Amino acid sequence: MSYSFTLNGQPVEATAAGMTSLLSVLRDQSGLLGAKRGCGEGRCGACTVLVDGSPVDSCIYPVANAEGTAVRTVEGLASHDEPLTRIQDALLEHGGVQCGACIPGVVMTLTALLETESNTDDSTVRSSLTGNICRCTGYQKIIDAAQAAASSNGGPR
Amino acid sequence: MTLVGTSARRADGEDKVRGAARYGMDYLEHGTLVAKVLRSTVPAARITRLDCSKAASMPGVRAVATAADAPGLSGLMIVKDQSLFARDVIRYVGEPLAAVTADTAEQAEAALAAIDVSLDELEPVLDLEQALAQGTRLIHPDWESYETAMPGPREGNLAWETRVERGDVDTAFDTAHLVVEDEYRTQRQHQSPIEPHAAVARYEQGRYVVHTPTQFPHNVRGRIAELLGIRLSDVRVIVPTIGGGFGGKLDVMVEPFACVLARKTGRPVRILNSRSEEMTTCGPRENAIVRLRTAVASDGTILAQDGVVLADNGANSSGETVAVANVAPLVLGGTYRIPNARYASKVAYTNTTPTAAFRGVNGPYCVYAQEQHLDHIARELGMDRKELRMNNLIRRGESMVNGQQLDDAFLVEAMDKVDEIRPWQDAQAERRPFRGVAVVPLTWLTNPLPAAASVKLEEDGTATVTCAGAEIGTGAVTTGVLQIVAERLGLRLEDVRVSPTDTDTGGFDGGAQGSRTTYGMGNAALDAATKVRDQVLEVAAGMLEAAVDDLEIVDGSVRVSGVPDQQVAIPSVVGTAMFDSGPIGASGKFATPPIPFDSGCMAGAAVTSFPAALYQAHMTEVEVDPDTGRVTVLRYVVAQDVGRAINPQMIEGQIQGGVLQGIGYALFENLRLGDNGEVIDDNLESYRLPTAADAPPIEAAILENPCSYGPLGAKGAAEPPIIPVAAVIGCAVADAIGKPINELPLTPFAVLQAIKES
Ligand code: FES
Ligand code: FES
Repeated sequence: MSYSFTLNGQPVEATAAGMTSLLSVLRDQSGLLGAKRGCGEGRCGACTVLVDGSPVDSCIYPVANAEGTAVRTVEGLASHDEPLTRIQDALLEHGGVQCGACIPGVVMTLTALLETESNTDDSTVRSSLTGNICRCTGYQKIIDAAQAAASSNGGPR
Repeated sequence: MTLVGTSARRADGEDKVRGAARYGMDYLEHGTLVAKVLRSTVPAARITRLDCSKAASMPGVRAVATAADAPGLSGLMIVKDQSLFARDVIRYVGEPLAAVTADTAEQAEAALAAIDVSLDELEPVLDLEQALAQGTRLIHPDWESYETAMPGPREGNLAWETRVERGDVDTAFDTAHLVVEDEYRTQRQHQSPIEPHAAVARYEQGRYVVHTPTQFPHNVRGRIAELLGIRLSDVRVIVPTIGGGFGGKLDVMVEPFACVLARKTGRPVRILNSRSEEMTTCGPRENAIVRLRTAVASDGTILAQDGVVLADNGANSSGETVAVANVAPLVLGGTYRIPNARYASKVAYTNTTPTAAFRGVNGPYCVYAQEQHLDHIARELGMDRKELRMNNLIRRGESMVNGQQLDDAFLVEAMDKVDEIRPWQDAQAERRPFRGVAVVPLTWLTNPLPAAASVKLEEDGTATVTCAGAEIGTGAVTTGVLQIVAERLGLRLEDVRVSPTDTDTGGFDGGAQGSRTTYGMGNAALDAATKVRDQVLEVAAGMLEAAVDDLEIVDGSVRVSGVPDQQVAIPSVVGTAMFDSGPIGASGKFATPPIPFDSGCMAGAAVTSFPAALYQAHMTEVEVDPDTGRVTVLRYVVAQDVGRAINPQMIEGQIQGGVLQGIGYALFENLRLGDNGEVIDDNLESYRLPTAADAPPIEAAILENPCSYGPLGAKGAAEPPIIPVAAVIGCAVADAIGKPINELPLTPFAVLQAIKES
C-alpha cells in the first residue's frame, strides 16, 4: 500500500504494509534517524513525532494512520543552517541533555506542549513528559528548560 | 579567562538536540548484513547435538557461527570462565548457542528457527544460598582449570571471594555492651539505557573494525580478542555517539558475534538488540544478601563488625561482579570508624544471566544494609540516629578498614552542609505520622585506571584532543576535558575539539566508569596541554624576544605580561614552529599515584583502596500512604564533594540523574527471575523506569575539597549520587512506619505488609 502525508512540510508517499510503524518508514525509507527506537513497544517515547501537532509514539503508530496528516520530526524543527528553536536552545542552556538518546522525543513532546498549552507550570510540564523516559538526567533540567523556553516570548522558535 | 568552574554548554549538544547525532544504534555501512543470535531457553543442560546445516543453506543466509568459531575463554579481568557460545554445557536461559547473518532480519530469524538442538537437561541451580550449600551440583565442574588474573579464594560454585580482616574481632564481640545482627536482601536492577547494545563489524586487512557505543573501548577490544582467540591489536574499536550506559556498556556484549560473522562473510555485519534482548541478556546489577553483626559500646561507639556479602555472579564472570567484589568491604568500612572488622565478600555462580556493572557497583546494597543496621543499633540504644552516625564518622586523618588514611576526609562537612539546608532538629520537630526523615553519609572512590591523550595545535590556532575517552553522556569529554585543555592553552572553548573515540588513534583509557573520565582523562589531557603550552611559549619567546616566564596566553595570543601591544597570535606561533622546531603537539598520560594501605589485611582483592576518595551526605523526607503503602519522596538534599567543580551544571545533572536511578532501585525497579532463572521483566511495561512524575525536587550542594593529584583538584562526581539513595530512603520509610524493612525494593505491597504486621 501507499500512503501520502506531509513530512516536515514536504509531501511524501510511503509504500509499505499498513501496519508498518511510522518509525520504520521514517528511519528506513526517509533516512530520518533523529527519532530513536528505544524500546519499540510504546514505552519510552524516544520515537516521539508529531502527527497533526500531537505527539505519538511512532514505533507503534501504523503508517496507515498517517495518511493525509502532517508529520513532523525533530529534523523539521530547525534545518541545519538555521538557529535552534527555543526549546532546543533552552535544553542546552539548562543542561537538560546528557546522552541525548531521549532528546529527539523530548524535544517533540515539549514543542507540542509549547504550541498548545499556555500554562507551563511544573506539574503541567511533568505530566506532558511522563511518556518520555530519560534514564540520564532525572528530568529536572529538562523541566527547567521547558519552563524557560515557555517564558520567553512568541511561538516555539 | 576562567573556563574551569563555568557551566559551559556541551560541545556535542547541538547535534543531539537537532536529532543529528549518530548513535551506535544509527550506524550502518554499505552492504551491511543483519545478525541474530540463537539463545538457550533452558537454564542448565548438556548439548548433545547442534546442527546448523539446514539453517546455513536457507535463503539469504550468509554465514552461521558456533562455538568452534570463537575458541577463547575470557572474563572481565579476573576469572576466565566465559566462552562466546555455549560449548558442551548450557548455564543460563539466554546463553548464546549460535549466530546467523543474513540479508534481512526475517531471513536470519527463519534460519535460527531451523537450527536443530538436542539437549539433556540438568537440574538448575538458581538460588544464591543453595549454590554455596554442600553437595550442590557444580555449575562449572572445571572451575580449577580456569585462568585467573590474580590469586584469590574460590572453590566450586564460589566463583570468587575477597576477605578483609583487621584487629581482634572476637574479643571486641565478647566484651561489647551490645551486639546487633541483621540480614538484608536486594534485587537485580537493570541499567536500561535508551539506546540498546548495537555493533557493526567489518573485517579488513586481517583486522576487525568494530563500531560500537561502548563506555570502555579498550576493554571491548581486549575482550573481543580473548573470546575469538586473536591478538588485541587485531581489533579496532570506534565509538559513535553513545546513548547511555550506566555500567551496562562497559563490557563486550554483541560485538564479538558481529566480528566472527564479518570474518566469515567478508561483509559488514550489524547486530542490534531489541529491548527484550537487552533486558534478558545484558547483565544487570547483581542481587545480593548482606549479613551484618556489630558490636557497640553503650555510648554507641562501633567496636567491631563482622559482615558477609553474598552476591550473584550469574552463570559466568563476564560482568564486573567478581572484579569489584572487594568494593563491598571497603564501602562497609569506609565511612565509619570500625577498629575491628572481618568481612567476606562472596560471589557465587548460579544458572542465571551473568550480572554486571551498574553505576555504583556493590555500593547501593551494602550502604542500604549498613544504614538500616545502624538505625537498628540506634533503636536498641535509644540514641538519635544522626548522633550515632556523627559519633562514628571517619574524620580527617583517620583510616578506612583497609588501613587507608583519609587525609582529606570531608564527611563532617558534607553532613553539616546538609544540616544547613535542612536542619535535622527541624525535621525531627516537624515529624508527623507516616512521615519519615533520614540522613546518610558516604565515602566513595574515583576509578583509578590510567589514561593517555594527545593534543596538537592546528595551523589556524585551534587545538585538537585525541584520545580513547568515551563520552557516555555525562559531558566529561565534551565539556570537562575540553574546558581543562582550553583553560590551560588560553583558548576559547569552541576552539578546542576532540576527535572521535578510536582505539587505533587514542592511547589506553580506562573507560567511562567510576566517575573517572574528568579525573583520569582530564589529567592526561592536562599533561598534554601543559606540554603544548610550553612549546608555544618557547617559540613565542623567540619571536617576541622575551623570556618565557614573562609570557602569558590571552584570547588566543601570546603576549608579554603587562605589555599588551607586544604579542603574537597563536596561528603565527604555530606557523613559525612548523619549520623551526616542528609542528606543535604533545602526548600526555596519567596513572594514579600509589595509595598507601595495609595490604596484609586483605585477600582476593582487585580493588584494594579508594583512590581520589570523595565524600557526600544525602538527606530525605518521605511520606507513606498508610492505605496504599505508596512512598512519596517529599524532599531530597545532597551535599557532594567533587574536589573541584569543572562544570557545576553538568555535576548537578549527574546528581539529579543518579538520585532518580537510586529512587527507582529503592522503590520499584526489580528485574525478576522466573522458575527457570529466566528474566521475567523483558519489557519496559513490567520493568518500570522512573518517569518525570517520580522525580522529587532535589537540592544539590557542590563542595570543593581538592584532590592533590586530580586535574586542577577535581575528583570523580558522576557515579556516587546513586549509591546512598536506597539507604536513606529505606531509613526514612522505616522512620515513617516505625518498622524496618530488610528487603528492597520498597514496593507499596512490601510497605503495606510491614505496616500491617506491626
Ligand atoms: S521506541 Fe517508541 S516508545 Fe520506545
Ligand atoms: S539524556 Fe540520556 S536518556 Fe535522556
